[in-house]
Amino acid sequence: MMKIYTPKKTKIKSIRRDSHDTVILTLNYSLKHEPGQFVQVSLPGIGEAPISISSYGEKYLELSIREVGNVTRTLGKLKKGNFVWVRGPYGNGYPMKMLEGNNILIIGGGCGVAPLKGIIEYLEKNRKKYRDIILFLGYRSPEEILYKKELAKWKSKHIVNLTVDKASGDSCYTGNVGFVTQIVENYSMDNQNKIVFICGPPIMMKGSIDILKRKGFNEDQIFISAERLMYCGIGKCCHCMIHGKFTCQDGPVFRYDAISGFKND
Amino acid sequence: MDLYAPIKDVVTNFKLITDFKSISDFSLKENSFFPIKEHFFAKNETILTFDKKNLSDKPPKNKAKAFFGLRKCDLNAIKKQDLVFLSKDKDGYYEARRKNTYLMGCHCKKVCNQYCFCGSMNLEDFYDLMYYDKGNKFLIEAGSEKGLKLIKKYKKYFKKTNEKIKQEDKIIKNASRLERKDLNRFYEDSRWNNLVDLCLSCAACTNLCPTCYCFEFHDKVKISNLSQGSRTRGWSSCQLKSFSKVAGEFVFRNKREERFKHRIYHQLQYFKEKYGTDLCVGCGRCILACPTRIDFVKLINEMK
Repeated sequence: MMKIYTPKKTKIKSIRRDSHDTVILTLNYSLKHEPGQFVQVSLPGIGEAPISISSYGEKYLELSIREVGNVTRTLGKLKKGNFVWVRGPYGNGYPMKMLEGNNILIIGGGCGVAPLKGIIEYLEKNRKKYRDIILFLGYRSPEEILYKKELAKWKSKHIVNLTVDKASGDSCYTGNVGFVTQIVENYSMDNQNKIVFICGPPIMMKGSIDILKRKGFNEDQIFISAERLMYCGIGKCCHCMIHGKFTCQDGPVFRYDAISGFKND
Repeated sequence: MDLYAPIKDVVTNFKLITDFKSISDFSLKENSFFPIKEHFFAKNETILTFDKKNLSDKPPKNKAKAFFGLRKCDLNAIKKQDLVFLSKDKDGYYEARRKNTYLMGCHCKKVCNQYCFCGSMNLEDFYDLMYYDKGNKFLIEAGSEKGLKLIKKYKKYFKKTNEKIKQEDKIIKNASRLERKDLNRFYEDSRWNNLVDLCLSCAACTNLCPTCYCFEFHDKVKISNLSQGSRTRGWSSCQLKSFSKVAGEFVFRNKREERFKHRIYHQLQYFKEKYGTDLCVGCGRCILACPTRIDFVKLINEMK
């Protein structure tokens, strides 16, 4: 009965640095989950943080950590064989089954690509059930592009539109430069049989939604993944509440029409 | 079993009674300044202890407690917190503190202060025993099996009577101050800002509220051994900016108005959407304790 806040000890299988402030942790932790769900990751003595699952599969658990707070900065310093404490999975993921037969658009910004990577892996496992997969991925600079290893594979299988906000002259990057919203804007498409998944900074999600709406998309075709401060993960501590909806239980994935009316919250 | 009852010092508060002399020592004319929620939903609860290798989550040790002199509002507040902590995903720490308690109420004949509005909040009968003051005696009603058992166990202090507790005995006069309405219609109302300008974001309202149940976790380590320590669960307040702050210092409810409104909507709207009942019980403490006396009841009544 006590167990609701008690995490389980888990060994780090591997750790890989993808950018100056982002590491990818792979844990020896078998966990049945849906794409879009998250876990609470603890370092006893430092704290706990909600982290979205960036893999899809039951053999291991992959977490992408941006080092911005006490817990995440410490996670970034760990090594293979160290332990972390995990509880979950929590929240509602993307309703993948319901969306079969559609073209899938994925718009991600920065470490917001993490939960979307889980979708990409899900789609690859269930490839025949979906039509085209179109990715729009934006990062701040070429050095900050995440999942470079996976990106090559994605490019061979899906339509990938990659962009960076800024590229300095001395980088060997030759791709798009500009905000991810810009490449969505420039991409010629209608809303037929399309579902959009967006995750990224609030301003980027807002911008993308505005553009999609101008292109004729309805709010019920768009799914976003929300970020809030949370402690319990099970709808009790109330920190993640958005107008009475709990990000941890009702979200973190929301169909946009369910929360589009909410302002400043 | 420990007995707690309201004693007036500077203010009335529930205190452990170690030397009971007479019921007239108890302060039954006004409600307690603090609610008793900290006895169940502790201000600071150790939820985990850890050392280098292991983590443990033992429940708190709990002594049986009886509370005498609880008001209808505060009794209902316990019921609301039970909904949160004892329904789905049971919180073992709350449960361990809550299970060995006896709740003995004392019925208000009239409102405790000018800010009470319990009559507007559809409160229910929720108690083990309820005491109705009849001048030279109390009429007592049992509201649970636990209450009946208590009477049987302490037979010598009770007397059987044919007198009935009437419906009119249960009424608290002049307590329906809040006009109930669909608050969803008023979320964008500019009048929220007029009054809320007075809010100091001090969080007195949430700390004194008998129902507010938001919490946060904190890890502490021993200075003498940094790998040993504990994770505690403590109260937190939606009136503070840090409540909705995420990584990168972004605050979702950055303005006082937004935070104030969030508290009222959680109490009167959001909780109902999830649990089917209001969270607020109308005790009026958040208004009484507010340093600038923001009366949200008056504000809502003016919204038409």
